[in-house]
Amino acid sequence: MTKFQPHSESSSEAPPAPRRTQGQEFWRLFKKNRLALAGLAIFLIFFIIAVAGLSVTSGTRPYFDPALVRLPEKLRPPLSRPNLEVLIPGEMPPLGMYVFGTDDLGRDVFSRMLQGAWVSLTVGFVAVGIAVFVGILLGGIAGYYGQTSITINHIFLFCLMLGGASAFAFGSLFPGVILLIAAIAFLYRSARSGKPAKPSLALAWLQKGATSVDTLIMRFVDIMLCFPSFFLILTVVALLPASIYNIMIVIGLTSWMGTTRFVRAEFLSLREQDFVTAAKALGVGDRRIIFRHMIPNAVAPVLVSATIGIAGAILTEAGLSFLGFGVPPPYATWGNILSDGKRFIFDAPWLTFIPGFAILIVVLSFNLFGEGLRDILNPKLRERY
Amino acid sequence: MSPLLSVQNLKVYFRGDETVARAIDGVSYEVHAGETVCLVGESGCGKTVSALTILGLIPRPPGEIAGGKIFFKGRSILGLKEEEFQQIRGKRIAMVFQEPMTSLNPVFTVGDQIKEAIMVHEAIADRQAHSRCVGLLKDVGIPSPEERLRDYPHQLSGGQRQRVMIAMALACNPNIVIADEPTTALDVTIQKQILNLFKELQKARDMSLLYITHDLNVVREIADCIYVMYAGIIVEQGKMEDLFEHARHPYTMGLLASLPHRAKRGRILYSIPGTVPDPAYKPGGCPFHPRCEHAAGICKKEFPEMCDYGDGHLSRCPVLYERTNTVTF
Repeated sequence: MTKFQPHSESSSEAPPAPRRTQGQEFWRLFKKNRLALAGLAIFLIFFIIAVAGLSVTSGTRPYFDPALVRLPEKLRPPLSRPNLEVLIPGEMPPLGMYVFGTDDLGRDVFSRMLQGAWVSLTVGFVAVGIAVFVGILLGGIAGYYGQTSITINHIFLFCLMLGGASAFAFGSLFPGVILLIAAIAFLYRSARSGKPAKPSLALAWLQKGATSVDTLIMRFVDIMLCFPSFFLILTVVALLPASIYNIMIVIGLTSWMGTTRFVRAEFLSLREQDFVTAAKALGVGDRRIIFRHMIPNAVAPVLVSATIGIAGAILTEAGLSFLGFGVPPPYATWGNILSDGKRFIFDAPWLTFIPGFAILIVVLSFNLFGEGLRDILNPKLRERY
Repeated sequence: MSPLLSVQNLKVYFRGDETVARAIDGVSYEVHAGETVCLVGESGCGKTVSALTILGLIPRPPGEIAGGKIFFKGRSILGLKEEEFQQIRGKRIAMVFQEPMTSLNPVFTVGDQIKEAIMVHEAIADRQAHSRCVGLLKDVGIPSPEERLRDYPHQLSGGQRQRVMIAMALACNPNIVIADEPTTALDVTIQKQILNLFKELQKARDMSLLYITHDLNVVREIADCIYVMYAGIIVEQGKMEDLFEHARHPYTMGLLASLPHRAKRGRILYSIPGTVPDPAYKPGGCPFHPRCEHAAGICKKEFPEMCDYGDGHLSRCPVLYERTNTVTF
């Protein structure tokens, strides 16, 4: 047998290939996808416009006042000069003309679009933020702890707590306190005894597994998917006071199911990976494995679905505003500019076309960017480039 | 001297819907301080399962420890709680896995991962941890460790990755390193380097090594003691020289006969007929009898007992034991 030097790797090392960090490699691939690059560019421009729009349209004396009514100047076409004879100096449009025209109350559509951009941006991000948070949480639990069975014990405890909490909520304090104390006592008892080797026969049925965590969460996802979500949102929004925050939360809470499924699927496959076993063998705890080892590996598909989800949320918000269920009237959003303008579609088509195009372009840019991300983050699709 | 790690009559079963796979069916072995013990056997004979059981990493269910005991430093570790087990894993008993390609997390740098191995068990400052990482990489023979620490796993070669895995295992100066076929996924030249590395490290750090392999050439390089496993039981055990010179069990003999050797050049290599039994449907009696050329009638009926050949050399084949004794006397 030939004798080998133990560390011959070092002596005969070839000149190293150019090393790229993951970020550089990612950017190199991303640049090749022109559409995704365009999407990213539009997204960045939109972001800047929205942030700038917030600062110039808010406050007591905004530079661009979206709520300023100039009745004599109603339905002026885009790029038209203001009629100086009917305006007092404070009513002058800031750029010396109506860039996007004026609506039926003579409000400057450009200012209203700026204000609406911020609404669209925040609705998109907050709603998707909520959806991703809930999705990662539930999907992570279903994927990692999925096989843990839920015993009749747990269901009993849950009912006690729910009963106690709802008794509190409806104002009957005494039964609420009793139920909650019972729940705590129950919890304490089961924590004390741990897992009894042989539970007494009378209580053995309590330890029986009713279902698994995975089944519980994923069937809940299926139930949520059964609702036509736009109509669910309409119902909820009709019940709740109209405010932009309610809209964000409601959109977020009806769009987390896709993320949950993604994350669960990722976790199921990651859990079996060697590096997870290796981390366990090093004495790394469950929580650290989930947050440090698994979530960073599962984040790619979530990022993609989130980007596309933002487009969906913007569209949903515009749809709600269009139907009159969205953000309350003095506040401009792209949806309600469109909705207000539809009455004048033949006389003043810019009132519908401008917000319509804005929605189209932003949604399209998010979708293109999201698909570009997906192509790069998924090695199987990467080969096309 | 009491052994550092002692596994006594361990049984690990995997429950299926209708079947019970008896992956390990009564295995006992001991690892003394500073010793290299090899577990040898074909794939599927329960080597890896026994290693994972020591670390408490058998997924339960479907896995189930049906019996036996494991003592580490005289303390029973089978019934430990998860938190207590985490104190042992990585710190006292560390493991090196078979696949260096997939055993490192692809999204973190090598440095992050070695640092994690230290920080999980010891509260030390980041800078100290960093310098320890550099030292560890030097110990496992990786050139320019400072730069490699900033690399991601995909930027390293297989051999380097396995060295990183070894560095992670050594991070907290464990008493025992369990190496589960650490060279199987590497090519032969790198295998030799890794083996030498294990030998050097073991000498320098006075740690025990439980080396799991199917490769007898590897065993010959490093073992002090050998346990030969077949279908979830140990069929022969003893000192390395004894086993290689005078194998007493037909299975061990078969394994040795199927090794390529210069003297056998030009002839067809011996191979043991048949395949390993399905752990859910093991043959009765001696599990090896359907493939054994010395099989007698008794082999089908009775589970063979260990026969003592002296000096710690035991073999689970009464048929051959009787034969040798009749020849001697």
